[in-house]
Amino acid sequence: MRFRWLAAFPLLYAALFALVAGWLGAHSHALDLFIPGQRIAVRILATAGCCLAVSVFARGDHLRRAWLLLGWGAVLILLRDVLRLLPPFQGSAGSAVILSGLGVLSNFALLAGIWELARSWKVAAIELPGGRSGVLAIAALTAVLAIVVAGPEALQRGRAVLGGDWGSLIFFVSAVVDILTLCLITPLLLTAVSLRGGLFSWPWGLVTASQISWLLYDAAGTLAPHLAPGGFPLAEVFRGMGETYLFAAGTVQFLIIRHVRRAVS
Amino acid sequence: MTISSLAISEQVADRLAPYIGQFNARMWIKSAARRELGLLPEDLRVEHVEGLMDGLRTALSTLMGRAAADDLLLQIKREVS
Repeated sequence: MRFRWLAAFPLLYAALFALVAGWLGAHSHALDLFIPGQRIAVRILATAGCCLAVSVFARGDHLRRAWLLLGWGAVLILLRDVLRLLPPFQGSAGSAVILSGLGVLSNFALLAGIWELARSWKVAAIELPGGRSGVLAIAALTAVLAIVVAGPEALQRGRAVLGGDWGSLIFFVSAVVDILTLCLITPLLLTAVSLRGGLFSWPWGLVTASQISWLLYDAAGTLAPHLAPGGFPLAEVFRGMGETYLFAAGTVQFLIIRHVRRAVS
Repeated sequence: MTISSLAISEQVADRLAPYIGQFNARMWIKSAARRELGLLPEDLRVEHVEGLMDGLRTALSTLMGRAAADDLLLQIKREVS
């Protein structure tokens, strides 16, 4: 089975996004309409991928729990994005609390899902490559990168919350969850490497690619907003890649389990 | 006898490798043989296949779910026994 077309899909999405955004022009009204629309589209794709993955596992399966949590995270953030386009959810303090709450719940669900996926190597007794020192070195490098890209936001928002700005709470929680989730890139990546040559390396590889896209999203938002030429929404590209890689990972997970069942029946 | 014993672990590894890679297939067989049967992979015989499959079940179920893992192990057992 070849899954290269699914692995290439997020890159094609990014290229298409760049073309459309370039054609619409920076700061244009059309771009302002396009961005929320495509954001909802990629959220729907991520949700669909997670649902596909959940559908091939039975209750009690380790990976069903992981994909279910990721699916809840995707649904909650999709719901938040849809609600905030509706007039009743624009501007009022009450709606801001609801939208923030959905964002926080989504973040926790995604963190729990990634945690479940990331600890699969331990549950399945998979031998990670590089030995203990190699794993620790990569983990330390990933943790430093995560703190560098999401740390400034967490610090800034944490100070704001301490100063009484409760509106910053969601951003603070989100940044802290980002740091924790990005630290889990190491076990995801090493599990994919360990399973190389086997079909099951694909879902881990694609989830790793999704997490790396989120790392780049944070970097684009906090470290290099000025690097994007002419107001190009670079962070949105990486957000879209993060979601479409999750879609690809869930779809590949579904296809592999279906393949196993067909092969043995 | 040695050739036959080697063939059991090799046959199982060859059937697992398309899913979990050659490296993990060998590691899992080595680990399951030692844990479940107290044997080295090269000492496995046909009568050990059932125990070996039981030893592989937990790890495989983690990656592919219980139903798919049970089906795959049953098929491997049929083919190598």
